[in-house]
Amino acid sequence: MSRSVWKGPFVDGYLLKKSEVAREAGRNDVIKTWSRRSTILPQFVGLTYGVYNGIKFIPVLVTENMVGHRFGEFSPTRQYSGHTGDRKGKRE
Amino acid sequence: MEDAPKRICLGVITGAHGIGGAVRIKCFTSVARDIGKFGPLSDADGARIFELRVQSDTPKGLIARIGGVDDRNQAEALKGTELYVARGALPDADEDEFYYTDLIGLAAYGTDGNKLGVVKTMNNFGAGEVMEIELETGGSVMIPFTKSAVPLVDLAAARIVADPPSGLMPAPKKEKSASKKRPKRKRQSE
Repeated sequence: MSRSVWKGPFVDGYLLKKSEVAREAGRNDVIKTWSRRSTILPQFVGLTYGVYNGIKFIPVLVTENMVGHRFGEFSPTRQYSGHTGDRKGKRE
Repeated sequence: MEDAPKRICLGVITGAHGIGGAVRIKCFTSVARDIGKFGPLSDADGARIFELRVQSDTPKGLIARIGGVDDRNQAEALKGTELYVARGALPDADEDEFYYTDLIGLAAYGTDGNKLGVVKTMNNFGAGEVMEIELETGGSVMIPFTKSAVPLVDLAAARIVADPPSGLMPAPKKEKSASKKRPKRKRQSE
């Protein structure tokens, strides 16, 4: 069952405060968080979070199409090591 | 002495399919059907060349025919064979686009010129490209593969310059003071 709409999206309070401080400061620091359960809100767009996966912090640059998802979705907890094949990465 | 040209593993034969000599292939390419697009494939030591003809794409892997393999026994004998292609066979990447295989193993330097470590892996977990650097001091750090965090990629010199955003670099480990250690209690003999 999905979460009731009247409750609004769940975000840990401390993360909301940290994000507001970072936004007001205008610095591009990584905001370390252990709160994988928090929902990504529109005011987080443009900020970079370090989302803990149990071992290390994975950098997550929040973009518009990530709003509504949880932080944990972008920081996998299981390691996958495969061949690189013909995969390419673009430097944004 | 020049190094041997770099070769990239694009897939592995996982078994035979049917009785006509078709094989099942696990592909490592971004689009499975592209495995045959880069020219003839070869095995790990480059001794045997495989002409691949892709038949279908199934949940169990790609089904393909290999030239010269006409029955199931020949196909089963190829199980476990890795399929390689020369790095030069891959098409040129666009501007500011890099093959993962080219980036892995490059030396990473800081903006101050000190060596940070070596590029260990490249990943994309859905929030942009992420580069993992194995640090000289031990451990590793993951940094976003952006122009601000990785201002320079010099493939010719086999080096990158990284400027990790503050907060990502691991803090230096503190040494535990010996004075805090609790002394062992002696066992009283009966």
